[in-house]
Amino acid sequence: MRNKVILLIACSILMAFLAGCFDARELDDLGISLVIGVDLQDNRILVTAEVVDPSVSAQENEVGSDGSVKYVQGTGGNIFEALRDITLKFDRRIYLSHNKVIIFGEDFAKKDVVLYMDELFRDREQRETVYILIAKGSKAYEVMGINSGLEELPADYVHRLIKNIEFNPKTVDTNIAEYLKYYYNLGQHPVVGVVERRQRRDIDKSEQKTGTRETELSVLGSAIFKGDSLAGYLNGNDTKSYNFIIDNIQVSPITFPSPLSYEETGKKLVQNEERLSSISIIRNRTKNDVEIRGDRLILKTEVNIRGTLREVIGDIDVSKEENLKKMEEACSKTVEEGIKLAVEKVQKEYELDIFGFGLVFHRKYPEQWEKIKENWDQIFADADFQIDVKTHIIRTGLINKPLAR
Amino acid sequence: MHTKRKKDKVYYHQILLLIVILRMMVGLTYLPVSKISPANQDSWIVLLMSIPYTIIFCLPLLYLSNKFNEYNLLEVSERIMGKFFGRIIAVFYSITFFIFAAFFSSVFVEILDSSLFRRTPTIVSVSILLVTCAYIVNKGLTNMARLVEIIVPIILLVFFILAILAYDNYDFTVLLPILSDSTFTEINAGAINIGLRYMDILVIAMIVPNLDVKTNVNKIFIRALIYSIFIIILASIVVQATFGIEYVKRINFPYFTFARLISIGEAQGFDALYISSWILGHIIKISAYIYFTSVALGKVANRRNQKFTIPIAIAILIIVLLIKDRRPVVAVDEPIQQIMMTVSVSSIIVVPSIISIVYLFRKKNLKNINKSMRQ
Repeated sequence: MRNKVILLIACSILMAFLAGCFDARELDDLGISLVIGVDLQDNRILVTAEVVDPSVSAQENEVGSDGSVKYVQGTGGNIFEALRDITLKFDRRIYLSHNKVIIFGEDFAKKDVVLYMDELFRDREQRETVYILIAKGSKAYEVMGINSGLEELPADYVHRLIKNIEFNPKTVDTNIAEYLKYYYNLGQHPVVGVVERRQRRDIDKSEQKTGTRETELSVLGSAIFKGDSLAGYLNGNDTKSYNFIIDNIQVSPITFPSPLSYEETGKKLVQNEERLSSISIIRNRTKNDVEIRGDRLILKTEVNIRGTLREVIGDIDVSKEENLKKMEEACSKTVEEGIKLAVEKVQKEYELDIFGFGLVFHRKYPEQWEKIKENWDQIFADADFQIDVKTHIIRTGLINKPLAR
Repeated sequence: MHTKRKKDKVYYHQILLLIVILRMMVGLTYLPVSKISPANQDSWIVLLMSIPYTIIFCLPLLYLSNKFNEYNLLEVSERIMGKFFGRIIAVFYSITFFIFAAFFSSVFVEILDSSLFRRTPTIVSVSILLVTCAYIVNKGLTNMARLVEIIVPIILLVFFILAILAYDNYDFTVLLPILSDSTFTEINAGAINIGLRYMDILVIAMIVPNLDVKTNVNKIFIRALIYSIFIIILASIVVQATFGIEYVKRINFPYFTFARLISIGEAQGFDALYISSWILGHIIKISAYIYFTSVALGKVANRRNQKFTIPIAIAILIIVLLIKDRRPVVAVDEPIQQIMMTVSVSSIIVVPSIISIVYLFRKKNLKNINKSMRQ
């Protein structure tokens, strides 16, 4: 009995400590941030945070009205100071654990990003899974606060846009841990997503809606980094090709000029540039290789696509094996050309290996790598590129011949 | 004493699990191999290579434990070195175990501060830890061994679950090409460094008389070494495959940060699983070292070891407060890591080697030591 009483007292005392009182952070003390934007302003860091306003309930908040978030700004010599500067103007401390996206303004991205990111890794509050976006051609705060989707909060809207890479690989979903991983890799430069503010066509003509949501965000394209500074941008198609090479393709559409049928062209593949067909990728496998031939370096990429026909526009009967083959060839040709163009552009314009061929070279020729690793980007820029794309259409959908045939 | 040992009997699998967890906790906490030369994709080879080195370094201790399996290390040293030197060695091992306990308590507080209780005063977190550990130690070796039986499978399960859940984050190409960026000398230097950190072997030397089958010493040693190394290899591979080689070098608690990166859909926060299992593992580790400190002090003072549990806990509390509120323990190498390495080398290699050499010289006089002591 005595022991039980002692145990009970001990448990009661422990409960006081185990409740975590010292580190208690009550919801009404925190400003829960969902997106932060980081900009340079007069050589100081300007942090803009999108903070949840818990006093606005979901019922009160109209979709797209953004009533349940507030935007606060702070400046400082570094990110931490800027975050704490907010507390002088806003009644709650910014809490980063629920932060989903960090947007860097273009000016800031051109500076030493990694230098200033220290706080985000050193403190445990910000999770390493947060996505990075670059505000293309603008300040980070200029692209914040826009919600042209169905999500309640602008943060969820932009987060969803990033996640949509699953359906369309014309964007990039790089989180801060991945960014740092590539930053330290000698054979691969980081590529992160971009976000742009765009005018949208106002379709809803009703009086109360007119003019309320004329802007939208677009995450089309990507930003290339040289070390920790923004070097330039890739457009949507080049970003898609980049995703093909780094094998980051999921359920993606490929649209290509429809081939003419064999009856019309014999055995030769002739594509009809005006009529475009599409397949949807079910599975993609990419294999990269490098080869030294004489004094030339050859970069090789093999892409294996398995897909389903999604749209056939043109006079081609896909129920015939030879026509299906022509569709496959046409798709492969389009992907090949796209990838070639992207690699050529990166080689000529940026001279930066963003595709990871340096890592492949390191694996295949470790001894040579030691000698050339410091000049790898130049070697990459001068290298020849070979691409081989194979497409297998394994499903044709619910109809066989195109409806217009 | 023999009656007490019969009472405090522990079993092969309990000690095996205990040593595996003591060793594994180092990997799960700060994964030294990711920072030790050559600190690259060959780290797993370093770990494999450390196995023969560990065996070589531990030979004197193993030899003594096998030869005098009725006695713990302190009793053996007293018989071989004489009462005076035996007592000095007992004092040395008391300090050694105490330093280990104080160091691991400091590490415990450091990771807890970084991961959960940033604003909790050190005195609160370390007091809760030491009260728990002192309670476990006071319940005796048998109960501690039973606790190990329950807790270690949970920790192992969590470890493997996290490794599986993080599958999407892996990029195994970072582990290639092997043996291209490091020299044979670097790999061996790394392996020796890892081998020298196997301080948990001392547990076998201290616990051997309590074993149910005393001839199992070598079996326990080899199996514990191999199992723990393979678990640390797995930890090292998954961490490097997730972060890349260079980034890992900059992370203080790699497996914790690794667990933070796991997400399934929108669900995150799997690091809570890691932290809870890590706390359990560390409580076992610190309890074990407090227990052996008390045994060593009991030997020095010729008293029951339980009497020392609370004074040891209080001394650790003071030491941790002095260390932790001045400097980080894991994040800053100097001088604590150097002290740990010196203590480790002295206690695993130097002192047991001296005892073994003295035994070989005094072999004739001590020929019937086992027999006479049994009488």
